[in-house]
Amino acid sequence: MNEVSTEQTSVFYKRKTKVEKGYLAAAWGIAVLLFVFILAPVLAVFVQSFGIGNGGFTLENYKRFFSNSSYFQALFNSMAAGVISTLVILMIAIPFALYVTRSKTMLSTVYRGIGLLPLVAPPFIFSLALIILFGRRGVVSQWIADFTGLEVSIYGFWGVVIAQILGYFPVAYMMIESSMRNMNPSLEQASQDLGAGQGRTIRKVTLPLAGTAILKAGLIVFVMALADFSNPLVIGGGENFLASDAFLLVTGQQNLEMAAVLGVFLILPSLAVFLFQTYLLKDHEVATTTGGENNPLHPKVKATMFGISTLMAFFIIVMFVMVVLSAFVQIIGINNEFTLEHFSDTSGWDFLRNSVIVSFFAALLAAGLGILQGYMTARKNIPMKKLMEFTALFGLAIPGTVMGIGYVLIFNGPPFFLTGTIFLLVMNMAFRKIGVGLESGISQMQQLDVSLEEASADLGSGPYQTFRRVVAPLLTPAFMAGFVYTFMTAMVSVSSVIFLIAPGMNLAAPYILNLADQAAVGRASAMSFILIVIVLACMGILKVIEKRSGSNV
Amino acid sequence: MKKWIVAVGSLFVLSACGGGDDTVTMYTHNDEEEMQEFVAGVEEETDVNVDLLRMSSEEAWSRIDSEYPDVNADMMWGMLHSFALVAEEEGMLESYESETWEDVPDEFKDPDGQWYGWSYWFNALAINEEILEEEGLDKPESWEDLLDPQYEGEIVLPDPGTSGTAFLFVSSLMQIMGEEEAWDYLEELDENVGQYSQSGSQPAQLAAQGEYAIGITWDQAIFDRMDEGYPVDIVIPEEGVGYDLDVAWIFKDAENQEAAKKVIDYIGTDEGMELAAESRSMVTKPGVEGTIDFEPNLIDYDAVWAAENRERIMQEWQKKFD
Repeated sequence: MNEVSTEQTSVFYKRKTKVEKGYLAAAWGIAVLLFVFILAPVLAVFVQSFGIGNGGFTLENYKRFFSNSSYFQALFNSMAAGVISTLVILMIAIPFALYVTRSKTMLSTVYRGIGLLPLVAPPFIFSLALIILFGRRGVVSQWIADFTGLEVSIYGFWGVVIAQILGYFPVAYMMIESSMRNMNPSLEQASQDLGAGQGRTIRKVTLPLAGTAILKAGLIVFVMALADFSNPLVIGGGENFLASDAFLLVTGQQNLEMAAVLGVFLILPSLAVFLFQTYLLKDHEVATTTGGENNPLHPKVKATMFGISTLMAFFIIVMFVMVVLSAFVQIIGINNEFTLEHFSDTSGWDFLRNSVIVSFFAALLAAGLGILQGYMTARKNIPMKKLMEFTALFGLAIPGTVMGIGYVLIFNGPPFFLTGTIFLLVMNMAFRKIGVGLESGISQMQQLDVSLEEASADLGSGPYQTFRRVVAPLLTPAFMAGFVYTFMTAMVSVSSVIFLIAPGMNLAAPYILNLADQAAVGRASAMSFILIVIVLACMGILKVIEKRSGSNV
Repeated sequence: MKKWIVAVGSLFVLSACGGGDDTVTMYTHNDEEEMQEFVAGVEEETDVNVDLLRMSSEEAWSRIDSEYPDVNADMMWGMLHSFALVAEEEGMLESYESETWEDVPDEFKDPDGQWYGWSYWFNALAINEEILEEEGLDKPESWEDLLDPQYEGEIVLPDPGTSGTAFLFVSSLMQIMGEEEAWDYLEELDENVGQYSQSGSQPAQLAAQGEYAIGITWDQAIFDRMDEGYPVDIVIPEEGVGYDLDVAWIFKDAENQEAAKKVIDYIGTDEGMELAAESRSMVTKPGVEGTIDFEPNLIDYDAVWAAENRERIMQEWQKKFD
């Protein structure tokens, strides 16, 4: 910390650029917050894993990790599930993105919406739906049993993998799609003019062009799947996985040291991927374009892409339909009588309200501070700005379970007693996502010419007035992007906040997980349904505001 | 920007002070569904509002233990008797003499009023008869029967790491068979267990839905599923089952003591007990009938022994099965 800060300040003096006092204060404020709410919890997990603070440095916990087969099994399962899910997701997301970007029918727009739908649902929703369909007495399992006599059970490793494929698909799809959409069509045209067939063009031109995006998507999905916490809990059938085991170690056995060790194994891959992406994987997006239509696909190729996309879209829709159905019938598959009983859940409604409030303020804070930091990073010579940028972006990569354990370690005792407060929930959600506001703030500032601000200054505005009157309005789209993303993810996030809830300060997503744990499938489905509707409604409202104000999200 | 800061700030302040004197914060291990009805009862009969957090027993205990002396709740309604004994031993509980509890027999409450037992519950098997028939399995009648290889992969047992139901099962086996024999039994049973679940009610639900033929669980979880129309039946193994007193208590130096006392009083009233009796097999107030209509074969469960040996048993369990 110290070393970096002196280095940074020396650069700052060399340039001799003056930073206004207000910005300096803001920068320090954000730096302290970033330290307290991102770095310190992660450091605490590392420190705890070595037993420091509980009687001195020891490697005992690591020895136990490697000598106990179940911990090792957890590491292996999480890794294996991550690798398999990632590969399958890429194999589906690439054709899906090709189909959507290279066909102009209504259907492709619908498919795009379906592909993104899982983003608005709690992460374990597919586990619920899979149990309804493929549990040992599931709707489909029974059908299979009747015809073939085979017994199907979705519980366990493969159930987790399938749930992850469905749940993390949109993340990869989004990134690959945007890269394919922005590709210059003339390159593909040139390839085909030179005699290459469409298949060859896709292999030799399109995919290499999208290569960086595909690699990035794969890495991010891998890290998310590795850190998956709720699917193993719901559908894992007692199999060991890193994040869920770490959670059970904390809540069931109060074994924070061992949980911290598991946390370290969660965070090392995330850290490696993050460093690789930030420093080694430079964007070399060739020949992007703003105008121009993407090349249409040949009928044969299109049929294949369409087939794969349809299968995936169908699967996603079936999953959502199952959840909705099970919300409205007594007991799905056993007593299919219509009922609204599952919705008469008084605490559930309270927790939904809490979720909306917490997510709203977290989004406000993350987007506001994020773009402010983005502005200062792009325009002001504030001290430690590289380190601050690094920390904020790193926050995005930290597995929620690690963050949750870190928060318990720091805020659950003297001098802070913050667990169970709305304040800590907001801070937790905001600082895990502040990187999104920051990134969109920086990229927006890079597109704005400094001359605008200089003009404002020449006309006599002070630096703060310039920010308020000129820069802030121009940053609105970046703010909206950060706000929407943080709000959406905060509404459905579980893995970190589950450590921080308290009586009266529970949230909808962890509550639904608890219902699923009590095997109250109908109520869990009903609450999930309402949660999805609320998130979609909020997104709709934002879309309307966005259209009215003419800014773009 | 300033406006936001003010707005955010005032919201935090508001929510921090929110509540007031007549709100009580509560941990429970009871299922969400029945607890919502209890809370509605409290809020109707007293002027107290209840904020609730439901966890499985071991989770709740581990949370309390790590938070003490700054427990994030005022009271507990719904917890294992053995944990009450440990908590009392460690001085975590507040004494309160409640008048409404006077006619409840002494064996169900602490002489110093540190904890109050409001109902009791016991281990039982949830059996899905349709599955038994389909798969040609016999109906098990005893704990011993469960070791039969025909049940391989058909039994679901809660994990004692999180579930109090499972701890009751493990500790009562030890009291029935002796410790060594019980460990041997559990290791053999492990061969037949298809899944270890997190909560103690889940096995009843899983057996009811037909995911597994047999769930080791507790009485009311099975009765609830039967009422909902699932093809599930309750079996009390021949050797007998352990039972546990379900208790309520106030934490020492709780912030909202007066409100918590009102809740304890309410639980002990006829109205409170009658409400509880609607979703419990047996309650502790004389003259109030629970939901059960037969005499279950209960062993003379020693909660004090269970409390004293809990930590050792759990460590052994983790060594053997985790």
